[in-house]
Amino acid sequence: MKQTIYLMAIREALDEEMERDEKVFIIGENVQQGTFGTTSTLVQKFGPERVMDTPLAETAVAGAAVGAAMAGFRPVADMMFADFMYIAGDEIMIKAAKWHFLHGGKVSVPLVLMAAMGGGMKIGAEHSMCPESIIMHTAGLKLAIPSTPYDAKGLLKTAIRDNNPVVFFYHKGLLGVPGEIPEEEYLVPFGQADVKREGSDVTVVATSRMVHLSLAVAEELKDKVSVEVIDPRTLEPLDIDTIIASVKKTGRVVVADEDNRRCGVTSEIGMQIMEKGFDYLDAPVQRVAAADLPIASGFMEEHILPQPKDIVAAIEAVAT
Amino acid sequence: MELKKEQLINLYTLMVRTRKLDELTIKGLQEGKVLAFYHSGQGSEALAVGAIAFLRPDDYAWGHHRGHGIGYLLAKGADGKEFLAEHYGKATGSCLGVSGFHYADPELGVLGAAGTIGSVFPISLGWGLAAKKNKRQQVMVSVFGDGGSNRGTLHEAFNLSSVWKLPIVWICDNNGMAQFMPIKDAYAREDIADLAAGYDMPGVVVDGMDVLAVQEAVQAAVARARAGDGPSLVEAKTIRYRSHSEGSPDVVHNQPRSEEKIEAWKKRDPIESFKAKLLEQGMLTEADVDKINQEADAEMAEIEKFCTDSPPPDVSVLEKLLYAE
Repeated sequence: MKQTIYLMAIREALDEEMERDEKVFIIGENVQQGTFGTTSTLVQKFGPERVMDTPLAETAVAGAAVGAAMAGFRPVADMMFADFMYIAGDEIMIKAAKWHFLHGGKVSVPLVLMAAMGGGMKIGAEHSMCPESIIMHTAGLKLAIPSTPYDAKGLLKTAIRDNNPVVFFYHKGLLGVPGEIPEEEYLVPFGQADVKREGSDVTVVATSRMVHLSLAVAEELKDKVSVEVIDPRTLEPLDIDTIIASVKKTGRVVVADEDNRRCGVTSEIGMQIMEKGFDYLDAPVQRVAAADLPIASGFMEEHILPQPKDIVAAIEAVAT
Repeated sequence: MELKKEQLINLYTLMVRTRKLDELTIKGLQEGKVLAFYHSGQGSEALAVGAIAFLRPDDYAWGHHRGHGIGYLLAKGADGKEFLAEHYGKATGSCLGVSGFHYADPELGVLGAAGTIGSVFPISLGWGLAAKKNKRQQVMVSVFGDGGSNRGTLHEAFNLSSVWKLPIVWICDNNGMAQFMPIKDAYAREDIADLAAGYDMPGVVVDGMDVLAVQEAVQAAVARARAGDGPSLVEAKTIRYRSHSEGSPDVVHNQPRSEEKIEAWKKRDPIESFKAKLLEQGMLTEADVDKINQEADAEMAEIEKFCTDSPPPDVSVLEKLLYAE
């Protein structure tokens, strides 16, 4: 194992997959420099034809990636901020998502759309969203949201090799998070949740940055309540079986995610727990999510985004 | 390029087949056998056939929604049976009966069709990018309507195709109408080809009723693209004989379209006028024309029977189609 950080793990995944398969290329706004460092330095190794800087034109970036994918390439389109993916809604949610199905399976779209999501930087409503629910809602798109360097590298490599469109949301609040990854090559399969901490009293299903907040809260509460923290790692496919197995053990569950509360990821996971694990529940499912407001900027941000105290309150609500 | 006799006859035959398949699709809709909707392409056969007939098998092509691409597809070598069976919702349709009116055949360079107007631009950019990366001198011929030209996606794709010198031929089928919206109220200039100058690419206007004028202009653009000199824009002036979609009112805004104007265009019908020219030049005889028509009629009868006899899709196909293996 070796020590690295989240953004370097992402870059390593790109580097290794570009090395392995010449059909893989990166396309996006200023990817040669790399806004978040995830694609930086790759142009020195692979050249500008495989690390393609584009003008500020999101429909062109996503559309070019979708078209090239259909024609046999494996593009990784870096949409920079996840918020910007809305601009290319047709290309992402209609073309990439539906064209394999719509055309009777005759064409495939092996594409990765990656983008930085999430708050914590106080940069407001158009640079802080976690549009997971809209992607999870769209039939035909897979969705990976890693919380650790290990998961980030392994999931991204799997995403690039998948023959379907995969949205890969990395959290910009986790870019510097350290962690260990193997020296040798590895992949993290889709649809396998990871138990980040074992516990027996309460299950917290947490995604992305919420995993770290939940682990901190679990540690803080360890003398009072034994918290199990489960990270689904991919939301589509979703490993509901691992979640239900944990709920069967604890009987109590909190779902924590940074997307908005209404029709958000927590709604979906909470409802699936109701459908598949109602008999194991000793308390109503609690959820922790962003308020149903745009993500405010500056000092106001923390009043919108889910905070550790909200996770504590939710755990206490189900545990008592 | 100077066309040989058999090439000229092929163009004429493709136009005849295109018109007859269009008519057959309308008949199917009227009889309740075509399940979704249909946007007739009658009037623009010369553009469809002239633009596509001389492409290489591995070139990419996107015909737009008028005629649901019939002319473009037949000219690229597509199977009329699969086209209409898809409209019938049958398992033998091009997309297994799932799309209802789209066609895809990667072997022919037809990678799909869209339901959102203007989405042709970014996706074509990707196909053009792939063509350039493949380094096999492939081209991408991408056809859009005057309605699509109003989308902002045009700008992003035109701009990048030119900056990256992609082998794309952008073709505008300007029939003057976007559903019920006349182009004069949607675009400030007369010619959409004028846009090309802003992207540093050639832009030409051709008579879209003249198949030879179309093929000449498109082939010049194709040659330029194959040589690595980048994209071009060809605008063809055409007419839409019928309403926007079968059964919808044929209006300009909310007032009936001028029948006189349509009749005037019909006097220059692309099929009839090309036939007259070929007869006059002695390339065709009346007997040839009869034979071409009879063969096309026989093909249509076969297509219709195939569609009628084909089974509906099995519902189990739906879940299987969500993801590629």
